[in-house]
Amino acid sequence: MLAGLMKRVVLVSGKGGVGRTTVSIALARAAVANGKRVLLCELQDQENTESALGRALGGFSLSENITRLQPDLNACLLSSRYGHIRFLTSLLPAKALITAALKSRALQVFLNSAPSFFEMGIFYHFLELYKAKEADGSYSYDMIIIDMPATGHALALTGLPEILLRLIPGGPIARLLREGQAYLNDPEVCAAWIVSLAEQLPVSEALELLAGLQKTNVPVGGLVLNRLETNPFNESEMNCLDALGDVDDLLGARVFRNIQRMDVQIERLRKSVQVPIVGLKECKDNAQNLFDTLARELNAAENLV
Amino acid sequence: MKHSTRELLETMRVIVCCGAGGVGKTSVAASLALAGAQLGKRVLVLTIDPSKRLAETLGVSRHQEEPVPVDPERLADAGVEVSGSLSAWMLDPQMVSDAVVRRLSGSNDNAKQLLNNNIYKNVTAMVAGMQEYTAVEALHGFIKDDAYDLIILDTPPSRNALHFLDAPNRITEFLDGRVFRFFLPKEGGLFQKATSKVLERVLHVALGKDSTAELLAFFRMFSGILMHLGRDAKGMREFFAEPSVAFVIVTSPEKEALLEAEYFKRKTTTELGLNLCGVYLNRTLLDLENQAAPETVLSSDNHDACLSSALEKLQVMANSEKKLIAGHREIYEELAARIETKQFLTPLPYLSEGVSTLNHLTYLAGRLCSA
Repeated sequence: MLAGLMKRVVLVSGKGGVGRTTVSIALARAAVANGKRVLLCELQDQENTESALGRALGGFSLSENITRLQPDLNACLLSSRYGHIRFLTSLLPAKALITAALKSRALQVFLNSAPSFFEMGIFYHFLELYKAKEADGSYSYDMIIIDMPATGHALALTGLPEILLRLIPGGPIARLLREGQAYLNDPEVCAAWIVSLAEQLPVSEALELLAGLQKTNVPVGGLVLNRLETNPFNESEMNCLDALGDVDDLLGARVFRNIQRMDVQIERLRKSVQVPIVGLKECKDNAQNLFDTLARELNAAENLV
Repeated sequence: MKHSTRELLETMRVIVCCGAGGVGKTSVAASLALAGAQLGKRVLVLTIDPSKRLAETLGVSRHQEEPVPVDPERLADAGVEVSGSLSAWMLDPQMVSDAVVRRLSGSNDNAKQLLNNNIYKNVTAMVAGMQEYTAVEALHGFIKDDAYDLIILDTPPSRNALHFLDAPNRITEFLDGRVFRFFLPKEGGLFQKATSKVLERVLHVALGKDSTAELLAFFRMFSGILMHLGRDAKGMREFFAEPSVAFVIVTSPEKEALLEAEYFKRKTTTELGLNLCGVYLNRTLLDLENQAAPETVLSSDNHDACLSSALEKLQVMANSEKKLIAGHREIYEELAARIETKQFLTPLPYLSEGVSTLNHLTYLAGRLCSA
């Protein structure tokens, strides 16, 4: 597998509808096949809506506690509330004080709605999992894959240490943020991958996201182009179809046209990005087979550039 | 009687487009605005933190201090006849927030002090509900004056379509006077003072002394403004419940759409008393339902070998396409069964090239009105 896909922390981001969650799961499977102990995470949102990752995994209801899916494949939600509790517990010796503080509605409201504090809780939870160790001293998880929320929020999270450090340059939070920032900005440790489709609009969006991520100093591993259609037609067949005149009125023509345009989009990406590009073939299998197929593809993936 | 897009464009003052991120909400909002202008209305489309793409399509610049009219010549060049007018305001949340601070600070000095506060500068746009509030604040100004007949509000993107409607509640909660008093230990009774002490101690431990002081200073300065916004929030809820304000939801043909619609129905009708008029199921392939299969061409004529093999391969694509279309149809039918009888459900086509030109917008506008 490409080294860039095997970092200790892989952030999988991308616009809705491009298959971000599917790619995250496939990557997790591929890493397990490579002997890694993997933790697959999704952010728990403030409304506590059902986890899309749990649903995609086959109807698991995930929580901040670890769910063991397979011996080396675990999943959980990164929870802001849990992070807040753990953080305060680590700082305050007096249990009673924490209990009192967390019972206060004011603090609850504050933590949920005040700037960056939501992300801060998520961040702490992530750090705890990152540093978790087994009895023998080895890391509990060789690889943490985070299925990042759609664009805006993903940037808020990766840019968080930067912003908060400007506000809170000292104290325990600052120490924590510096520590987390050091991991997230280290290309040896962390890589953000952008999932996209080889279509005009998604490619434009992926380029915008790439620029945004690069601003936050998170190393970008590369782009995954999901659902690539293989072109079954040879040159003369394509000419035959074009010569048909009303080919666009036939069912399937949309896919045919997409395939013709896909190469243009891949070319466009090749010209405008410096990071690796990995392609995944369109696969219409059921979910479980799909993950396996994509995992094998990721395992064998080569840089398209 | 069942609502229709055309009726909304002709009778409503405000149409609020709700939807999760990535469903093409902004494009639908812009198309609605264009359709309204074609019907002779003076239309303003208000979007927050919009994409560069839409700005380029409309030929207006983002982050202006006020709405920018779309050049009628630009529309005419694209073959769009507009008897009304179309303006767009693509808002920078920070800018609107600054304007609010200047307006509500009481004095120039106060405003300056707050605008220069480190915390204010960095995080205001991130206060939960602030973007949504910003949209409504801007909206409010236009409702009062008579420059526009119709305002299309494109709500900020969120994972959840209904996030926007909860914003007033979230911001009121955040601004809740009681909460603030806990951070302003000078006031309040014994109990409050005790709670403030606990909170302050927690904050001290977590943030360090200096940062806590800065945070408390921010709260002191910002609280007056936020309190004011909090009072406004009640008015905002009432305003949204008025019969001249229509809500439409934009969704895409995925399973989540069904959950969203369900949630929306519960929220709007029972909890908030809002006027949900219809659902746009965007990016569907339903237009392709009646396309002929490639094999029909194959069997009817005597083709050369090259065309035959090409059509056979195209048939494979047609088969997978059929499944996809059937999935969209299923979601459409399920949605149709779940919405109220007076609400419309309008499918919109998936445009392979995206919605990146005025022609695309015009096409969508036509589809919206013909439905």
